[in-house]
Amino acid sequence: MEAVLPIDERPREESYLSGAIWGWLTTIDHKRIAVLYGFTALAFFLVAGIEALIMRTQLARPDGTVVDAATYNQLFTMHGTTMVFLVIMPLGIGLFANFAVPLLIGARDVAFPRLNAFSYWLFLFGALFLHASFFVHGAPDAGWFGYANLTERHFSPGTNLDFWVLALLILGISTLITGLNFLVTIINMRAPGMTFMRMPLFVWTILVTAVLILLAFPALTVGLIFLLMDRFFGTHFFAATLGATPLLWQHLFWLFGHPEVYILALPAFGIVSEVIPVFSRKPLFGYPMMAYSTALIGFLSYGVWGHHMFAVGMGPAAEATFAATSMLIAIPTGVKVFSWIATMWGGSLRITTAFLFSLGLIIEFTIGGLSGIMHAAVPIDLQQTDSYFVVAHLHYVLFGGSALALFSALYYWWPKMTGRLLDERLGRWHFWLTIVGFNGTFFPMHFLGIAGMPRRIYHYAPGMGWDLWNMVATVSAFILAGGVAIFLVNLFVTLRRGAAAGADPWQGRTLEWWTPSPPPEHNFDRIPLVGGRDPFWGWKYGAQGSEAVTAARPPLEAAPADTIHVPHPSWFPIVLAAGIVVAGVGMITRFAVVPIGGLVALLAIIGMGFERATAGEGEQPGVGTDRTLGVLDNRKVGVWAFIGSESIFFASLISTYLIYQGRSTTGPGPADILSIPLTSVSTFVLLMSSLLMVLALAATQRGDGRWSRIWLLGTAGLGMVFLGGQVYEFSHFYHEGLALQTNLFGQTFYTLVGFHGAHVTVGVVWLLVLARAAFAGQLPARRSLAVELCGLYWHFVDVVWIVIFTLIYLLKGAVGP
Amino acid sequence: MSNTTHPESHHPGTRVYLIVAAVLTVLTAIEVTVFYVPAMQPVLLPVLLLLSAAKFALVAMFYMHLRFDRAAYSAIFIAQLFIAAVVIMALMVLFAVFLGRG
Repeated sequence: MEAVLPIDERPREESYLSGAIWGWLTTIDHKRIAVLYGFTALAFFLVAGIEALIMRTQLARPDGTVVDAATYNQLFTMHGTTMVFLVIMPLGIGLFANFAVPLLIGARDVAFPRLNAFSYWLFLFGALFLHASFFVHGAPDAGWFGYANLTERHFSPGTNLDFWVLALLILGISTLITGLNFLVTIINMRAPGMTFMRMPLFVWTILVTAVLILLAFPALTVGLIFLLMDRFFGTHFFAATLGATPLLWQHLFWLFGHPEVYILALPAFGIVSEVIPVFSRKPLFGYPMMAYSTALIGFLSYGVWGHHMFAVGMGPAAEATFAATSMLIAIPTGVKVFSWIATMWGGSLRITTAFLFSLGLIIEFTIGGLSGIMHAAVPIDLQQTDSYFVVAHLHYVLFGGSALALFSALYYWWPKMTGRLLDERLGRWHFWLTIVGFNGTFFPMHFLGIAGMPRRIYHYAPGMGWDLWNMVATVSAFILAGGVAIFLVNLFVTLRRGAAAGADPWQGRTLEWWTPSPPPEHNFDRIPLVGGRDPFWGWKYGAQGSEAVTAARPPLEAAPADTIHVPHPSWFPIVLAAGIVVAGVGMITRFAVVPIGGLVALLAIIGMGFERATAGEGEQPGVGTDRTLGVLDNRKVGVWAFIGSESIFFASLISTYLIYQGRSTTGPGPADILSIPLTSVSTFVLLMSSLLMVLALAATQRGDGRWSRIWLLGTAGLGMVFLGGQVYEFSHFYHEGLALQTNLFGQTFYTLVGFHGAHVTVGVVWLLVLARAAFAGQLPARRSLAVELCGLYWHFVDVVWIVIFTLIYLLKGAVGP
Repeated sequence: MSNTTHPESHHPGTRVYLIVAAVLTVLTAIEVTVFYVPAMQPVLLPVLLLLSAAKFALVAMFYMHLRFDRAAYSAIFIAQLFIAAVVIMALMVLFAVFLGRG
């Protein structure tokens, strides 16, 4: 077969990679941001790898003396935290989703390019902030899971865990915004004709990953806020002696933690689902089942967190439920494995390095999955908990599963990113050293675990029967490191001297291979019209190339080239990220620095709001992709998704209040102190502010500037009255003897109601900025969406208060375990 | 600012907004009244939850325009709201079992 479609081969100097340093600092191009993510994550991969090698050297022989216990604690904590938050997740989502998703769906960028840049800079600064701990009083040392009460100030008095808490909060914001960005991008920016069931599987996995991020990270955020308050403000959210329970941390952490496993794994599954069909020269077997199983994995992953906690004794009903859901999730995962095998079956295989790494994932991840099912059985899990068996399992899932796919993706998409092919001979060395080193390192850990070797011990006595396998694991770890070294050589050598890739080096099936390598800044000269799955294959070879394709030849264009709108560079993302991290630094060094960072961040947000329009942040005219959705506005979808994620945040806070209700060991309690008359008036004020908000929107929409200004100021005014009532209430309670640290009621009440008040404050600032714009004549009817978005947020704050007023004030102890 | 009008939105008029505000006020007054009536104490929980849910729904449907906007927005919000409700209930049940034994 011969390609019939001419591919536009632009000169390299016009690619997105060219440009000065300022261009990279202010870039909002998804491809450049992907490259920034990639190199940053690779740097931290080396850091985490060195940490792992030090640990393996320490454990190579009994009574190791390379590091002491304290250093070893820091090493395993930082290795886990770095690999999860700074390597696997940013490579899967930050690098590959950022680079490939807009290309795969035929878009010119992501939905919110500036937020995309902000996510990266916040990620970079957060990662540097975390690692700065090495140079202060030592790195975090309580494990990547940070179990309470070890993390409390009493047991960890240094700044180690302060860095950890603040860095994870910062990184969490970055990840949440990335998730939101991809959710909106995939829902709203697909090329015409690319329905959900025509999306490449990688896009499906990123869509589900984005949903998981929005649902899972708020629980971690709430847990981290509790921990931060314990460490900085003297509360005791996890202290059993004061009526609390350390298990609250475990529930909140694993409520995030197990979906996080799939946040790490699903992009890897998506990569394999792209690579295997291309190198088998067959369409993906069972596409609909693959798409449904991806969604099912996402759904089930939210209901299995308890299997991390079997050892705490949750009771037979809870344990049986979590055991069942943990076994169920193996079914959609198994569907994927069988589909990949069926895709290869009868295919015309090309054994490239990218293909080998994907094949490696299928085998290694299956091994990890099988040991995972063992953990779903409570009696077996109890034997294996906290042993090296678990270390083996998680590395088979996260390295054998995720990391191998990430290597595969690098070999697969590197030619598209750089225009040059990676060296296949070096690639095979990399692959085989990785496979030998990986299995040699981690398979013996199954034996060590069964032989009783606990995790996280920094040395062991001779004669335990662990010497041989520990030595094998350590030698193999260095073989694995050798593979990584060859990989790095391959990257840097071929970046300068690699063979030219051309636009379509692999005979690809999807849209990214249609555009030159590397792609121009705007990705596509013309937005393609998609007529089926694997559209590029169909355009090249016609319908016979793939049974799923309805050939649309030549590809039709949605927009002529002279209307291409390329996003403008912006300084605001990096300034905003810097402001947030400065505030974080202030928490540890000097508290007065915190408001300075906050002010910088606030000004950057306002500046971003008034910056000129950038491509992709509004509606997508002519790019309505799915008849059921029509043309949605990116910003509106984004605000709704954000509001949904905020719902989980407040649900976690409300849950904590209700769980701890009635468990305070000292007074005063809610029945003693909460004032219904005062709060009823506050509630009425907030409800009426919602009325003024919709009136402001209506006035703006009909172009009535005078009433728009009046209602906006009125809404802000009522918001301030509400906040005044809250200040009065808090000061009154304080004088009545209820401080933040007094008891569990004080902690949970002030935290919940205080965070709601913080949201109202943000809303008031937003309203005042809009009112200022209205007075300046910058809020005509055509920009009424700005008021509508603010209104959505304001009404959400209102409905949250409706729930709080009922559950916390009116029911005063009637609800709770 | 870079915002443009969203042509697909058909929002209700001022009259509807005022009626909703009146209903919200009445429902809040009923909530507070119910709280103070001793005879209502046995059914306080279901009654207050019902009234709260009604207020929540009114704001979401009319002020947040879910009743008039595209169904996709409702789907995004309701799906996450469902998860939020499940989180609250699951944690309540788990801790009821755990703390109840303690």
